[in-house]
Amino acid sequence: MKYNLEHINKAFESKVRLGIMSILAVNESVDFTTIKNLLNLTDGNLASHTRSLEELGYICSSKQFIGRKPNTQFSITPEGRKAFAEHIRALEDFLKNQKL
Amino acid sequence: MKEIEVYNTLNEIKDLMEKSSKFLSLSGLSAILVGIYALIGAGIAYYIIGYQNVSYSFCNDTLYQVGGIVVLALILLGISLLTVFAFSWQKAKRNEQKLYFDSISKRLLVNFFIPLLAGGILCFALIMQHHYGLTSCIMLIFYGMALINGSKYTYSNTRYLGYAELSLGLIDSFTVGYGLLFWAIGFGLFHIVYGIFFYLKYDCKRQ
Repeated sequence: MKYNLEHINKAFESKVRLGIMSILAVNESVDFTTIKNLLNLTDGNLASHTRSLEELGYICSSKQFIGRKPNTQFSITPEGRKAFAEHIRALEDFLKNQKL
Repeated sequence: MKEIEVYNTLNEIKDLMEKSSKFLSLSGLSAILVGIYALIGAGIAYYIIGYQNVSYSFCNDTLYQVGGIVVLALILLGISLLTVFAFSWQKAKRNEQKLYFDSISKRLLVNFFIPLLAGGILCFALIMQHHYGLTSCIMLIFYGMALINGSKYTYSNTRYLGYAELSLGLIDSFTVGYGLLFWAIGFGLFHIVYGIFFYLKYDCKRQ
């Protein structure tokens, strides 16, 4: 039996990226530090993943200053939400087909 | 083996969604303790009021009695909040999370305290105008609404405690003379019952 493997999104193969999408899917916007703490990452590591997700158009960021500290807020884009939902659906379908 | 991997991934996603949008470091034991404080407080209040005409209107509403009750209520609120914070801090530490005041906990605090603060100010205004009778039901009603409002940002079943407090407060508003009793049931008994339920459901499993 063949599954819809084309819906398994390559961009979400990395656990970190999938984690970022999971967090942003249920929040209006989340700042860099909160994501970093939730996923237990270093600054550089998270920055590289958010950059690639931004390039794909799945998330968008806005930078502002709180006092003198820069604060980056991330949120999910409609395309990102769609891609994430499809990915989850593909994973769930995969599990369902396994159990049959 | 891939099956287990996918299953774990989905679970991790669910976990992250919950952790990132909800404050999950509440503890059942703190609710039980808060309930016990409330019962002790109600006992002291009963003693201050002087066994007569409990709570609806103090027969001889001396400044001493009203002041005593207000101070008692504030002390209760203070030690209850301290207890909740201390237990939450401990639980966060046990789960190897930092209890940081990030957007998640801030959201819970703001949404919980707005109705609570409004109720507190209303109570204070009523006491200033010597309308003591409605204070217990207003405390219960606004506390219930605070819980319902805050439940979106923490364990969602806290809203059932909110519904219970709200209903009890509304019943209380129709009765005369049983304010302290309703208060003790709502803040004492309900907290203890909910705390035990919470402890068995979440805290026990983890240990």
